[in-house]
Amino acid sequence: MDLFLQYLANGLVIGAFYALSALGLTLIFGLMRVVNFAHGEFYMLGGVLGWFVTAHLGLNFFLGLALVAATMATLGWLVDRFLIERVRGQGEEPGILLTIGLSIFLVNATLLVVGPAPMKVAGAFAEGPVFIGPIIVTKLRLLAVAVGAAAILAAHLLIRRTRLGRAMRATFQDPMAASLAGIRTKHVYAATFALGCTLAALSGMLLASVYSAQASIGGLVSLKSFVVVILGGMGSFAGAVAGGLLLGIAEAMWGGYVATGMVDVIGFVLVILILLFRPQGIFSARAERA
Amino acid sequence: MTLERNTLLVALVGALLLPFAVTDQYLLHLAVMALFYVVLATSLNLVVGYVGEFSLGHTAFLGTGAYTAALLSTHAGLPLWITVPVAGLVAAAFGFAIGAITLRLQGPYFVIVTLAFAEVLRLVANNWIAVTNGPMGLAGIGQSGLTDKREFYFVILALAALALYLSYRFVYSNAGRAAVAVRENRYVAQSIGVDPFGAAMQAFVLGAFMAGLAGGFYAHYISFVGPEVFQFAFMATIIIMVLMGGKGTLVGPIVGAVIVTLLEEYLREVQELRLTLFGLIVMAIVLFLPNGLMGFVARRREQHGSTILRNTPAEEKTV
Repeated sequence: MDLFLQYLANGLVIGAFYALSALGLTLIFGLMRVVNFAHGEFYMLGGVLGWFVTAHLGLNFFLGLALVAATMATLGWLVDRFLIERVRGQGEEPGILLTIGLSIFLVNATLLVVGPAPMKVAGAFAEGPVFIGPIIVTKLRLLAVAVGAAAILAAHLLIRRTRLGRAMRATFQDPMAASLAGIRTKHVYAATFALGCTLAALSGMLLASVYSAQASIGGLVSLKSFVVVILGGMGSFAGAVAGGLLLGIAEAMWGGYVATGMVDVIGFVLVILILLFRPQGIFSARAERA
Repeated sequence: MTLERNTLLVALVGALLLPFAVTDQYLLHLAVMALFYVVLATSLNLVVGYVGEFSLGHTAFLGTGAYTAALLSTHAGLPLWITVPVAGLVAAAFGFAIGAITLRLQGPYFVIVTLAFAEVLRLVANNWIAVTNGPMGLAGIGQSGLTDKREFYFVILALAALALYLSYRFVYSNAGRAAVAVRENRYVAQSIGVDPFGAAMQAFVLGAFMAGLAGGFYAHYISFVGPEVFQFAFMATIIIMVLMGGKGTLVGPIVGAVIVTLLEEYLREVQELRLTLFGLIVMAIVLFLPNGLMGFVARRREQHGSTILRNTPAEEKTV
């Protein structure tokens, strides 16, 4: 029973990490409908840049986080304006290819520059265990979960409460009507992409302080994030959180009680089942044909 | 149609003559790999180019084919001409099962689920150590008395010719036209009685069969199979070939496979730089050559043709 609680706690922490790393994709894939295979590379760049600004520029963790966020927002904006915009409205396929190309480029350019070795991002404070009853969690993990929760809340408020958020929602409901109403949809698309890119990079840097940043991590992150977004339902923040937690707990339980080797299969099996029986995702209210 | 057929026949004759002109083992190896990729690109093109759904799980069939041949050869000691067809059939059976599930989905969902299947198979290959030997892979697969690269070359050439023949027959059959009709406009196709699922399924199973054959050959040729055959990197290479050459044409994937194989080989010295360039090439193709090289050629031909048409009446007027 002790172990059950520990597995549950592990699952919740990992699940929160999954939710965090999938947030950016919720925006880009869930709302913009760009099947972004470069998502994991944005995440990876967040970690690598985080390592650069903390280890080489000597900034403290939170200052570095802000700098990384600003850099990646710029990158996201440019990627959208120069690449994604040119294939918008042509179906998913060109977007898929473009982002696959981008992801191959980003991984290997990063490998060329920093090499394949893992890079440790210095955490905000010294690492140490925290005991909550019978459960053990580490401080940095708790911090990552807390910052992640804050990021989720901030993004949610941005989309629900601000002018830009209202413009986003209008644009994704009906781009034509939105532009007739005077919304500059190009900017809205670019802003959404930049926001998605920033969220991916933030989670990349946060998690690089828990694990480590590595140039080749992106593929796995992309896949898991797609799993989370599809599990939770497209474009829903609450869904991404629920999907992430579900995946995390399922993996922790499977790893704890059944077998550790095949843990990664669970996500894919869940996705296959979800798309067959409930293609709109577990938590999405809007019925949508797959 | 005739142009396409004639080009294919000329290419076949050229490929038949090649090993008599080239004796260098290294160049023959490149030719074998190019033809191996021709089979794979052709099989993927059936799904991507003619059904119009973007499968990222094609390595599932390549991998099942390769593992089937490897297991049959190492455990039962069967020769290549039995294991390769069986590999094709097993892959086709997988194609049927996976297609039955995935072809109900479209767009991004299809993409993700096909990818998920390939990943599941990769993880199984990695972890089911009793059968697949895990990450160590299966080594020492028999070469069935084929020792010379030239003999392997003729085997893969036969497979490539078979794959292109089957594709040609499929594309110009009713099922192929039905698939294209669904690709162009699903609802119109349905309204004239085309069954989208059935047409797509035929292409999917056929593609899986060919990829399985290629996988079986790969197992014997390299004489080693590991979980890497399911990897996304393989998939990305095949996609680039199909797109660079031009999806939805029979000649395109051949051109793409040859160009990419040569590029990969000659840029091998600079591994990361090579892949960086690859990424840039892919983006450039999507932005500037959306229909690939063959699409570009076809457009030039059309433009050329239409200028002639436009000129003729103008000349008549002046006369």
